[in-house]
Amino acid sequence: MKKITLLFFCLSVLATSCKKDDIIYDVNQVNATSYNANKNKLKTISQYISILYANLFQKALSANELVEITNCIESIGDKEVAHEIILSNFMNKSAVTMPSDSLMRTDVNAFIEQTYKRFYVRDLTEAEREFFLFFFASHPDVSVEMVYSAFSLSNEYQFY
Amino acid sequence: MKRRNFLKNTALGAAAITAPFILPSGRLFAATGSRMADHVVFVAFAGGVRQQESILQRYLDDSQDYPSAGNIMYNMFDGAPPTDKIVYGTDGIISGDTPIPKLLSQTLQQQGTLFKEVNASTVGHYAGVNTLLTGNYLYSQGLRMKPSMPTIFEYLRRHQGVKATKTWFIGNGIGNSLPLLDYSLHPDYGSQFGANFLAPTITFGDDGEKHLKNAKIYHPEDELDPMYKMKYFLDNVWYSQGKPLPNIGNTEEEKAEIKQFVKDMFEKKENGTIVHPPVGGNRDGQTIGYACEVLKRFRPTFSVVYLSSVDACHSDFSGYLKSLHATDHAVGHLWDYIQNNIPEMANNTTLIVSPEHGRNLESNNIVDANAFTGFDHSDANSRRIFNMVIGPGVDSNLTIGNENNQIGDIVNITPTIAEILGFKNEMMGAGLTASNNSLFDLI
Repeated sequence: MKKITLLFFCLSVLATSCKKDDIIYDVNQVNATSYNANKNKLKTISQYISILYANLFQKALSANELVEITNCIESIGDKEVAHEIILSNFMNKSAVTMPSDSLMRTDVNAFIEQTYKRFYVRDLTEAEREFFLFFFASHPDVSVEMVYSAFSLSNEYQFY
Repeated sequence: MKRRNFLKNTALGAAAITAPFILPSGRLFAATGSRMADHVVFVAFAGGVRQQESILQRYLDDSQDYPSAGNIMYNMFDGAPPTDKIVYGTDGIISGDTPIPKLLSQTLQQQGTLFKEVNASTVGHYAGVNTLLTGNYLYSQGLRMKPSMPTIFEYLRRHQGVKATKTWFIGNGIGNSLPLLDYSLHPDYGSQFGANFLAPTITFGDDGEKHLKNAKIYHPEDELDPMYKMKYFLDNVWYSQGKPLPNIGNTEEEKAEIKQFVKDMFEKKENGTIVHPPVGGNRDGQTIGYACEVLKRFRPTFSVVYLSSVDACHSDFSGYLKSLHATDHAVGHLWDYIQNNIPEMANNTTLIVSPEHGRNLESNNIVDANAFTGFDHSDANSRRIFNMVIGPGVDSNLTIGNENNQIGDIVNITPTIAEILGFKNEMMGAGLTASNNSLFDLI
């Protein structure tokens, strides 16, 4: 009986023993979406078009148009070419929602961060930030449309 | 034999002066075969064609128990047309009563070699075209899967270093998983050796008018260059994660050329100057018109034109007859256009014509407007097709085999294309085709 009481006591002590707190350093905690955000699934043509349309126009694509555009992309074998043509048709429409070129130039840092969030749903790395800061500095005529097109046509954008 | 003389005359010279060249991969390559022609156009006269109404010229005699026989494909085959119960033409006073005038002064049969009775063991559309393009019977291949064996496009591009825009696969639609046949999943070949697929009736049809026509053509230096630089940076970051995308390997120049082609076609369509066949405008005819435009613009080494309007035969036998007739006219137009409007390809192109399979001997119960019954494709009669080869070094006016003497198999077509374009040894060396024999080997 004593042994059982002793065992019960030991288990109770173990169960209620202290738990080490997580170390918190003296900086603010930030919730960051991970690099490439574990994207490993290739979007279907319909998914790609739906998401692209929503990104550019900030509203959903109609079901009919989704079928029509999917057909158009399937009708051209080189998907990069097909996507480019579809995208440039989108860009020809006035309802595309994007900041002005002057606004982009006003705060390039913020624009890049927002663009990564908008298209890649993740934060950018410092290397990526450096590239774009340098690129904008060395290419003064780069427009928002060009940046959005590059992101829309990039391979990472094909995955989710 | 013309071909034997050709091979004999060229063998020594080819062996002595085979010129090595560098493939896109950087590998030193020396072509081992002589070409019979620099271009091959392969018309998959697909959709399921019965021997009875095509090469056997029995019209209604062998299908509807109506005693009217005759040739309704008189650009391709020798033979007089039917004289009774004319329903295969364009619509005049009544539906189909006006046959399309003959286009070619000399039939394709007279200009080339006809294999009258050939075996085709796969009787589904996708499986049949898959066999036509891979030289394999892929019985276990799913409908929504890319071919597991290399396509003829991949053999050509890998072993001869041919550019992407020199290989085209032009389909009359996107159904039956057709777009999947531009390249295979075979680990030794794959997307980087694939063909440029185009379904022009979609691209330039209603959907394309709405979503492709107003494409911007960006300035190459001022707009495209910085855009691509950013894209390449983004892609390089992505590649470092080991997640590449399939790519058929069009260069930037080739992509620009394709985009310009698409733009130009919309303009030509608006102006009514697409080089469609003179008469009729069925889906196959439209496809042939755009195929002529592709040939004129890109002068491909190898192109496949897939037609399938005759598949109406399941439920509309009259429509099937009209499609056979109109598509014969369209194929005649294609050959005529190559010879008279594309100097680089005239007298330097081989045309191959083959259905992907036949159709049943017995009809189903579906009756059309003329009370004709339709035909599906599942029995032994569906495994009967014809093949035709026309071009430099190919015997003219030669017929091989007959209804009682089957010579040739659908899997002989890919080796035939390889032999014409001079890479048969490399293709056979890969050991991935069902047959090592070309149609020429069976003569």
